[in-house]
Amino acid sequence: MSKAINDNVCSESIYSAIFKRYSTDLHDFLYYKFGENFNPKDKVQEAFIKLWENCSKVTPDKAKSFLFTVANNLMLNEHAHQKVVLKYQAIKPKHYTNENPEFIMQGNEYMDTLQRAIESLSDAQRTAFLMNRIEGKKHKEIAEILNISTKAVEKRIYGALKILKEQVEGLK
Amino acid sequence: MTRELLINKWLDNALNPEEFKAFQQLEDYEDLVKLDQSIKRFKAPEYNADQALEKTLQHLHSLKTKEYNWLKPFMRIAAILVIAFGLYFYIAGLDTNYQTEVAQQIKTVLPDDSQITLNSASTLSFNKRSWHKNRLVNLEGEAFFKVSKGSKFNVVTSAGIVSVLGTEFNVKQRENYFEVYCFEGSVGVETIDDTQVLKPGESFQIIDGIIQKINNETTQLPSWLSKESSFDDVPVYLVFEELTRQYNVFINSDQIEKTLLFNGTFTHTNLELALKSITIPLNLTYKIDNKQITILRD
Repeated sequence: MSKAINDNVCSESIYSAIFKRYSTDLHDFLYYKFGENFNPKDKVQEAFIKLWENCSKVTPDKAKSFLFTVANNLMLNEHAHQKVVLKYQAIKPKHYTNENPEFIMQGNEYMDTLQRAIESLSDAQRTAFLMNRIEGKKHKEIAEILNISTKAVEKRIYGALKILKEQVEGLK
Repeated sequence: MTRELLINKWLDNALNPEEFKAFQQLEDYEDLVKLDQSIKRFKAPEYNADQALEKTLQHLHSLKTKEYNWLKPFMRIAAILVIAFGLYFYIAGLDTNYQTEVAQQIKTVLPDDSQITLNSASTLSFNKRSWHKNRLVNLEGEAFFKVSKGSKFNVVTSAGIVSVLGTEFNVKQRENYFEVYCFEGSVGVETIDDTQVLKPGESFQIIDGIIQKINNETTQLPSWLSKESSFDDVPVYLVFEELTRQYNVFINSDQIEKTLLFNGTFTHTNLELALKSITIPLNLTYKIDNKQITILRD
C-alpha cells in the first residue's frame, strides 16, 4: 500500500496490521523496562486505543514511535520510580531443552541473585539486554525499536552482561 | 579478535563457526552460557497479539457507540425543528382575523383576491390554509364582498349562511337584523327556516324575526361604502344602533316605540347632521350630553 493512500491509520485493516506488527514488541519492551507490576498488557491496549482516537493525526510510519511514547508515558505516570519486579519461571522453557542439551538448572540462590542483579540494572540496559537475550532480537532490531543507534544498543547490552556476570560471580 | 568483540558478536548472534570456536575457548565461556540460559527464565509472559487485537477492537466498537454523542446535539436540533414546524403549522392553521372598532372600516383581500370591506364594529375571520379547499368566511357584523370567480364561497353568520359564485354582495348581521343585498351575480341565502336565491338588486332581510325579500331595482353599491347608512322601513331603534356603531356615542331611545320605522340615510362624517337626518323626518328631537344622546319625542 502506498503512503499517499494511507496518510493515517483510521482504516481498521491498517490499524490491525500495525497492531500485529508492534504490539508484541511493545509488550515485551514495557515488561522488561517496568517489570510485571504495572500490567504491560493493559498499557499496550491503552496505547493502541489512544492511537485509534488520534488515528487521523498519525501516519502509519509514525505509529510505532507514537505507541512506544504513549505506552512509556502511561507507565511512567504509574510507575513513579518504584522498584522493578521481574520473576523467573520455576521450570526452564521447553524450547531451550533441545537447543541446549547441556542446559543445567541453576539453584534458587543463583536465580535469586540473578533476579536482583537484573532488577538493579538501569531501565535502558535491562530493556535492551533482555530483548536481546530472551526475545532473541538482533542489535539492529532493538536499535530500531528504541530509536537509538546500534552502537548504543551494543554498549547497553555488553554493559548489562558485565554487571550481571560480576554479581553472580560474587556468589562463588 | 578481542574478547569484547567476540562477546558482542555472540550477543548479536553473529558469530561465524571460526569465531564460535574462539568464543568457546574463553575462560569464562561456561559461566556466560550458564548466565545466558538462566536469563531466559525471566521471559515475559506470553503475549498473544491476535487475542489482544480482538479485545482492543471489541473495546473500540463499544466505545464507538458511546462516542456517537453527536447524536445528542443532532437530536436537539431535530427537536427544535419539530417544535418550530409544529408552531408554524399551528399558526398557519389559525384563522386570520380582522376586527373593526366603532367608526372604523377596513378593506382587505382574501387569498383568492376577493375584496372585502368590513364595516364598523365587525369581525371577519377565515383560514388561509384550508382556503383553497373551502372558501369559508366567518362574519359578525357587516361586510361588502366582491368575490372573484371560482369555487363556492360561503359567508357564515349566526343568522345564516350566504353562498355565492363570483358576485358582489353585502351581508349585514346585527342584533335582530340580518340583511343580504346582492349587487351582481347571484347569492344564495340559507337560514334555519328559509333558503333564498337573490338576483342583482334583490335583498333578503330578517328584521326582528320578520323575513322579507325585497326587489330594490337598484344595483348601487351599499351606501356605507360611501360613508352613509341607508334604511328602508327599518325600525328606528335599529337605525340608532347603527349610528352608535358609526359614531362612538351612546344613544338612549327608550321613549321611542319599537315599531316606528325609518326610511332614509345618515352620514358617517357628521354626528349632528346624521342625528338630524334621522330625527327630523320622524318628528323627533335629541339632546347631546357629552357622548350620551337622548332621543325625545317632539
